[in-house]
Amino acid sequence: MSDQTDLLQGTLDLLIMRTIALESMHGWAIAQRIQQISDDLLRVQQGSLYPALHRLEHQGWITAAWGASENNRRARFYSLTRAGRKQLTTELSKWERLSAGVSLVLQRT
Amino acid sequence: MRVWHILRARIRSLLLRERREMDLSEELRLHIEQEIERLRASGMSSEAARRQARRTFGGVEQVREACRDARGTATVDALVRDLRHSARRLLRDWQFSAATVVILGLGIGANTAIFSVVNAALFRVQPFPDPDRLVDIYQNRSNSDGIDASSYPAYRDMAEYTDVFASTTTASVPNTVNYRADGAVRPALAEFTTPTYLTVLRLRPSLGRWFDAAEDTRGTAIVAVLGHQAWVRKFGANPSVVGRTIRIEGVPVTIVGIGPAGYNGTVNLGIVTDFWLPVSAIPALGGPPRALERRPEEAPFLVKARLRDGVTVAQARAAMTALATRLAAEYPQEDSGKGISVFASSEVRIHPQLDTLLESLAAVLVAVVGLVLAIACSNLATLLLVRGVARAREISIRLALGATRRQVVRQLLTESMLLSAAGGAAGCLVAWWATRLLRALDLPIVVDLSLDYRVLAFAVALSLVTGVAFGLAPALTATRIDLIPTLRDGGDARSLGGRLTMQNALVVFQVAVSVLLLGGTSVVLQMLGASRIQRAGYAIDGVAMLETDARYAGYSATDGRRVYEEMRRRVAALPGVESAVLTRGLPMQTSGTRVVIEGVQAAAQPVVVASAIWAGPGYFDTLRIPILYGRPFDDGDRADSPRVAVVSESMARAYFGVVNAVGRRFRLEPDANGWIAVIGVVRDTGTADLQGDLVDPTPRLFYRAFAQWSQSPTTVLARSSLGAASLVGAMQRELRNVDATLPVISATTMERYLGDSLTVSEAVAMCLGTLGAVGLCLASIGLYAVVAFTVSRRSREIGIRMALGARGRQVVWGVARQVGVLVGVGTGVGLTLSVLAILALRAVAAPAPGVTLYRPTVDPLALVSIAALVALVGVTAACVPARRASRVDPVVALRS
Repeated sequence: MSDQTDLLQGTLDLLIMRTIALESMHGWAIAQRIQQISDDLLRVQQGSLYPALHRLEHQGWITAAWGASENNRRARFYSLTRAGRKQLTTELSKWERLSAGVSLVLQRT
Repeated sequence: MRVWHILRARIRSLLLRERREMDLSEELRLHIEQEIERLRASGMSSEAARRQARRTFGGVEQVREACRDARGTATVDALVRDLRHSARRLLRDWQFSAATVVILGLGIGANTAIFSVVNAALFRVQPFPDPDRLVDIYQNRSNSDGIDASSYPAYRDMAEYTDVFASTTTASVPNTVNYRADGAVRPALAEFTTPTYLTVLRLRPSLGRWFDAAEDTRGTAIVAVLGHQAWVRKFGANPSVVGRTIRIEGVPVTIVGIGPAGYNGTVNLGIVTDFWLPVSAIPALGGPPRALERRPEEAPFLVKARLRDGVTVAQARAAMTALATRLAAEYPQEDSGKGISVFASSEVRIHPQLDTLLESLAAVLVAVVGLVLAIACSNLATLLLVRGVARAREISIRLALGATRRQVVRQLLTESMLLSAAGGAAGCLVAWWATRLLRALDLPIVVDLSLDYRVLAFAVALSLVTGVAFGLAPALTATRIDLIPTLRDGGDARSLGGRLTMQNALVVFQVAVSVLLLGGTSVVLQMLGASRIQRAGYAIDGVAMLETDARYAGYSATDGRRVYEEMRRRVAALPGVESAVLTRGLPMQTSGTRVVIEGVQAAAQPVVVASAIWAGPGYFDTLRIPILYGRPFDDGDRADSPRVAVVSESMARAYFGVVNAVGRRFRLEPDANGWIAVIGVVRDTGTADLQGDLVDPTPRLFYRAFAQWSQSPTTVLARSSLGAASLVGAMQRELRNVDATLPVISATTMERYLGDSLTVSEAVAMCLGTLGAVGLCLASIGLYAVVAFTVSRRSREIGIRMALGARGRQVVWGVARQVGVLVGVGTGVGLTLSVLAILALRAVAAPAPGVTLYRPTVDPLALVSIAALVALVGVTAACVPARRASRVDPVVALRS
C-alpha cells in the first residue's frame, strides 16, 4: 500500500505542478484539468489531491491565495512559486529520463 | 533559505491552527459543491448528484487528517492529543496517579534537600579569578607524615620566595571572638590575615577597602574588614558601618571595609567569617601569647600564594622543600622533621586531611538518600508494571484497532513523563519545604541552603530519568503482548509469572532498604541516648549560669578578676544558692590540647590529646562530681604555687595506667618545662564541646585552675535549691548591681543549655528517622500495590476455590502467606545488612587523633522492634486486598 502511494505521490506532485504552471487554479479545477487532458485516463482521488497540495505548499513550491471561482465562490487558488518552477524543471527532466529508461527496458527485453 | 521557509511555515501553521482548520473545511466543501454542480450539469438529479459527489470524495475526516500530516504539524498535534488522553487517563486513575506523585515527590524531594546541603557544604566552589595559579601551602607535622598548618614565621619565610610567588598571604584558622555593637555582645568568627589577602585571591571588597601594611603593625589602632554576610545579616547592610568603631573582645576596632560578596572565608566549610583583622592585632585581642612564634600547634595559619607567570606547581614544591630543609637546620627545636607540602588550590577543598573525611561523610549521606530514591524508583517501577499488566487488555484492543506499536509506546511514555513531571514538581515543593525546615533547625554550621539551579537541574533530571526508565520498560513489555490469548482470556496468566517475580523482588528490596534505614536511625538514637545518660555525670537540676565579659565594661585583667570574684560572692549569698563557682566559657565546654606524660618516652608515645576545663575552687561540689582520689582545687593553688590539675578517671586510666594517679605529672606539649602535678581524680562526666558533644563516652579530661594560668573566668555557675529558672533572673540582677555596664553574653539554666547543645545529633536522628519512615511508607505502598494486584489477578482462581468450598479465612490466609514471605525475606535481608553495617562502623578507626567515633553496639531489642514495626506495616498494607479477596463472589468471578 505504502509503496504504491509513494510512486503515485511523486507523479501526482509533478502533474499538479505542471497543471498550475500556466495559471493559478483551485483544487477541484486541477483535478478536472488533469482528468480532461489525460482523456479521462487519469482520475485524481480527492483523498490524495488535497494532502499533496498542502504538502507542496508546505514545502514552498506552490503558494495559495483566496480568490473568486468561475461561479463567484470563495476558492483557494494555487500557483507555482519561483522555487516551484525550478523544482518543476528538475522533476520534468527526471521524469523524462525515468520514462525513457523504463520504455527502453520494456522494448528490449 | 528553504529550511527557513519550512520553519516559518511550520510555526505559522502551528500558530494559526484554528484558521487553517477552517480554511481546509471551506476548501473541501467547495470541492464537493463544484462536483455536485458538475454532475447536475451532466443531467443528474440534485439528490443523486449529492450522493455521487460524496461517494467519490470519500471520508472528509481522513482527507483532513492527511492534510494535517502533510503540513508536518502531525507530531505536535499527536503530542497534544497524547497529552490530553494521558491527562484524562491519569485523572481517572487518580489513586494510582496520586500514589505515584507522592512517591516521586518524597523520593526526589528528600534527594534534592540533602543534595542542597551537600552541594552547599562541598561542591560550591569559591569563586576566584585565575584559580589554576593559586596554591595552598602547609607545613607538615613533625615526626609523622601528617599535613598540618604553618606557623606565622614560617609564612614570612615562604613569602620571601618572590621569584616563585607573585603574592602570598596567610590567614589564621578562624576562631571565636565576641564583639559588641548596638549594646549587645555576640559571638563572631574572626580570621587574622595579611594586607595582601585579597590581592592573592584577586577579589575586591564590596565596600570600603582592605587594611594596608601600615595598619598591620603592632601599636597602631586596630582596624577590621567585616564579612559581607555578617554585614547583611547582623548590620542590616547599612553602608555607614564602614568607618564605625565597635568593640571586639573589649578592644575598640574600626571597620574599614566590607568583604567580597559571596565569599565566606578561608575555610570553606559551612562557616562564615565575620571579621578579618591584621595579624598584628592577635596579642591585643587576647590571642595566645606566643601566637607569632614558630608554634603552629598554638596558632595555626593557612598559607595561600599566587604563582608567578611561568612557574609550575612542581617548581614551587621544590622551592618549599628547600625551605623546609633550611628551617629544619635553623630551628632544630621547632621545625626539625617538618616538610612543607604545596597543593594546587583547585585540588584542595578545605584541608587535605579534612577533605577525605568530608568526602566520605558526603558519600554516606548521598548513599542513604540514594537508598530512599532507590526505594521510590523501584516502587514506581512496581506500580507501572502492575498497571502495565492490568492494561494489557486495553492495549491489545488498541493494537487490534490498528494503532501501531509506536503510537501505543508513545502514548504510554507520554503518560509516564507526565507523571514524573508532576512528581518532579511535587519533589521541588517537598525539597523547598525541607530546606526551610533544615534552616529553622539552627544547625551549628551556616550553609547557604538556597535551592540553586544545579539542585533544580538535579531534581528535574532525576524525575525525567525515572519517568523514561520506568515508563519505557513496562511500555515495551505491554506492547509485546500476544494479541489473541489476551483478548480471549481477558487476562495474561502465562506471562504473569515472570513479571510477578520481578515485582516480588522489588518489594523485598524496598522492605530490606527501609529496615536498613530504620536500623541506622536506631544507631543514632542509641548514640543520643548514650550521650544523655553520660550527662547524668553531673548536676543539672537547679544549676544556672551567667556569662559576661568584664573587658566591655572597661576593666583591666586584674580588675576584671576582682569583679568576677565579687559577682561570685554575691551569687553565693543569694537565698537558696547552695554553691557558686567561677569557670571559663560555658560549663563542661572543653578544648583539646596535646599533652606529654612524664616518664613515657616521647618517641614511643603516640599523640596524646586531652580536653581541658577551667575550674575555680568549689567546681566539683557545685556540679556534684564525685572525687575518687586526692583533693579538689583550693585557695592555696595560686599563681606562685606549683601548677596542679584534677583529671578524670578515664584520663588517669588511659595515660597513667592507674585510676589513682595522684602525684603523677604531665605537661602541655608546647610547654617544655611546665610540669603539672595531678592532685585529684574525679568520676567521668560528659563534656559539652562545640562539635556535638556526644561522640566520646569516656572523655579524657583534666581540670585546671585559672588562678595559676593568668586566665580570666567569664562565667558564674551556681546551684540553687529553689530551682534554676528563678536563679537565672536573680543572677542577672546581681550582675547589674555589680556594674550596670557589664554585658550579659549568656544567661540560662543547665537544662536548657544541654537541650540546645544536642540539636545536631537530634537533627541527624530526625533526618535519618524521617528517611526511614519515608522508606517504610513507600515500601508499604509498594506492598499494597503488589498484593492488591495479585488478588485481583487471582480473583478467578479464588472464585473457583470458594465455589469448591474454600472459606474466606483460608483465602485470607493464602494472601497473608504471600505478604508474610515478602515481608519476612525483606526484613531478614535488611536486618542482616543492618548488623553488617553496625559491625563495619565498629571497625572504623578514628580519622584523626583527638577525634573519637562512637562505636555502636548491636541492639537486639531495637532490631526486634524494627522487625515488628515492619510486620505491622505489612499487615496493614495487606489488610484491604485480603478482605477484598475473602469477599470474592464465586458466581461473579467465574462468569467474568
